[in-house]
Amino acid sequence: MVSARADVSTALSLCDMSKRFGTTQALDGASLDVRRGTLHALLGENGAGKTTLMRLAFGMDTPDTGTILVNGKTCAWRTSADALRAGIGMVHQHFLLVPAMSVAENIGLGRGGVFSGFDPTCTAAVVRDLVAATGLAIDPEARVGDLPVGAQQRLEILKALSHDAQVLILDEPTAVLSPQETQDLYAWLRRFVDSGRTVVLITHKVREALQIADDVTVLRRGRTVMQVAAHATGEAEVLTALLGETTTHGAPHARAPRRTTGKTVLAVNGVTVRDDRGTERLKCVTTHVCGGEILGVAGVEGAGQLELLRVMAGRRIPDTGSATRPARVGFVPEDRHRDAVIGEWTLIENFALKDAGRATGTMVWDDYRVRAELGVRAQDVRATSAHDRMDALSGGNQQKFVLARELEGAPEAFVVENPTRGLDVRATEQVLDALRAARDAGVAVVIYSSDLDELFSVSDRIVVCYDGTVHEVPFDRQAVGRAMVGLS
Amino acid sequence: MTDALAPFVEATVRTATPLAFAALGELVAERSGVINIGLEGTIIAGAFGGLVVAGTAGAGLGFVGAVAAGMLVAAIFAFFVVTLKADHIITGTAISMLGVGSTGTLYRLYYGTTGAALETPTLAPFPIPILHSIPWIGGAFFAQPPVMYLLYVIVPCLAWCMTRTSVGLALRAVGERPEAARAAGISPARVRWVALLFCGAMGGLSGGTLVLAQVGTFNEGISAGRGFIAIAIVVLGRWSAVGVTGAALLFGAASALQYLAQAMGWGIPYQFALALPYVLTLAALAGAGKRSAAPASLGVRG
Repeated sequence: MVSARADVSTALSLCDMSKRFGTTQALDGASLDVRRGTLHALLGENGAGKTTLMRLAFGMDTPDTGTILVNGKTCAWRTSADALRAGIGMVHQHFLLVPAMSVAENIGLGRGGVFSGFDPTCTAAVVRDLVAATGLAIDPEARVGDLPVGAQQRLEILKALSHDAQVLILDEPTAVLSPQETQDLYAWLRRFVDSGRTVVLITHKVREALQIADDVTVLRRGRTVMQVAAHATGEAEVLTALLGETTTHGAPHARAPRRTTGKTVLAVNGVTVRDDRGTERLKCVTTHVCGGEILGVAGVEGAGQLELLRVMAGRRIPDTGSATRPARVGFVPEDRHRDAVIGEWTLIENFALKDAGRATGTMVWDDYRVRAELGVRAQDVRATSAHDRMDALSGGNQQKFVLARELEGAPEAFVVENPTRGLDVRATEQVLDALRAARDAGVAVVIYSSDLDELFSVSDRIVVCYDGTVHEVPFDRQAVGRAMVGLS
Repeated sequence: MTDALAPFVEATVRTATPLAFAALGELVAERSGVINIGLEGTIIAGAFGGLVVAGTAGAGLGFVGAVAAGMLVAAIFAFFVVTLKADHIITGTAISMLGVGSTGTLYRLYYGTTGAALETPTLAPFPIPILHSIPWIGGAFFAQPPVMYLLYVIVPCLAWCMTRTSVGLALRAVGERPEAARAAGISPARVRWVALLFCGAMGGLSGGTLVLAQVGTFNEGISAGRGFIAIAIVVLGRWSAVGVTGAALLFGAASALQYLAQAMGWGIPYQFALALPYVLTLAALAGAGKRSAAPASLGVRG
């Protein structure tokens, strides 16, 4: 590992990288050595410094200390343009595309000199050549904002390859993809690596990483704690390095026999929902949830699952059909920062947002303070006091706070959208445990998650949304995966 | 009717020219994601700069002074908004007030309080052979002071640059998604500086046109809200060079309508004609629909 640094077979080497943002030490002497022609997985919890390390490698931030070597030569980037010229490309988790511009314009961006022209037809031809050479299909004339996420990701990869990238860095590329798209991407990455080029894959999915990668590096709290060949290690070992302690994560949960109350708590009957443009997002959907069970909802992005959950939570009035809902339904929206909490407010004020639409009269703050404190204790939210500002809490603790608020007052039903999005392994487990506890208390729980592993670990029953319809499927990964892409 | 038409078109083009210059500058600034409310200050600085230089060096060099003064004011704005990442609206409002206030003070300082009747050399109209004799519109479009003809060059150039050059691509990308531009190796700050300096030059040209090609004198507050109207014109013109020019002409026509109404003796109170441009803007904004053409990062700090 150390001797590899001067070795020409090392495509990219990062040594003793440190970076501080304000009071946060994002990286604390992390190192990474990527052999040419390999697929290298970079693992770590949220906040471990994976993305920061790669942003340094790509010249989007400047390291406080540390050296970057490309093919054994020391490099210092002023901007990403320098990294691109040196053959390093990066596909960001949140795509860095201009939605209002065409595919060709996005590829042409930043190329050529200050006074050079831009020829859309010529660039489109270049894109077609790239598509032919790489097998990543995309229409050069399409407007990027109209493309589905899978195509946007292909565009990000093409963009990097148009600069002749020899090292391709991908940040959580599968987070937004369907299982089929994920398979396709991995197959493509393997072919790319086999052609002698190099891939660094940032991910938090340990199992997938071990299956696909040649080498694995694990970061914890800004330091490299493990660097090993994938075949020489196992899931448990990587998780220990990742978390810094032994953990039961990933162990199958003992499936207790179903103890539903047998009473339907939440039902939708022939519900149709149209969006602003009049397109049917849900097409005459009928389904139900009983007390004491967790209904898992699966579906690729835009298949109608979010509309279904919104109808169930009473946040969306169906255009036709009806929904039978109990009086008290807890709801955890997908976009926490936008829809669930206000970062600049205290926990107490955020707690007071519960049912704010129905509240009348004066605010009894003492009352809200007591309720917020009870909630904080119930879900083990790590905060110094209920007077803390919401944005002083970590993402996991914010989410636990939202759960506490929505579970207060014993709701009969509980609807959650992607509740562990952006959370690390530990917080994810705590959130899922809270759902299980609610289920055991007889609550009808509905969860949508884009992570199938998570759905299977928490649900009692699974339905799949596909193109606005809802299908009952057997509790089986293969069956669910097929139903999500429309194969039954 | 035909007797009144030529003067009507002439008044339309006259009113539209300084508005078009300023609006095209604002268009470039907004395409880079900066909303330059300080345009009013830029215009009046240009008008004053033009006056000062023209007084000693003639009308032609006066335009150089106008452009330089506009760029100076724009540089102050850019320093606060781009370099120090200050709020666009607040900074812009301050720059507008600074422009109007400081030119008023300097004017009184140099030309005295009785200088209202001061005359400055102006650019004589330059009729383009043959074209200027086209009935009804020839005089309006082809017998103007030469500065107006710059529009015939700037508008197609700008439209072409926006879609067909790397600079145009970079400009639009910075206004839509600065992070995406940064990842492509473009410096959003540099692009915005350049865009704002261009906006300043155009604002200065607008003020210069006002003083050195139209009014022939300067008075306090001569910009008379043209900077704010230009911002509305950019919205009305859907952020495209051709659209903005069309919108400027529409504004000019709406303003010129009052002369036509008087000449024809329609008996419409002139206040209605005065209000027409603003009514047009409101109607255009209301009908703009949900999918706006505005750059996605317009007015976002940093």
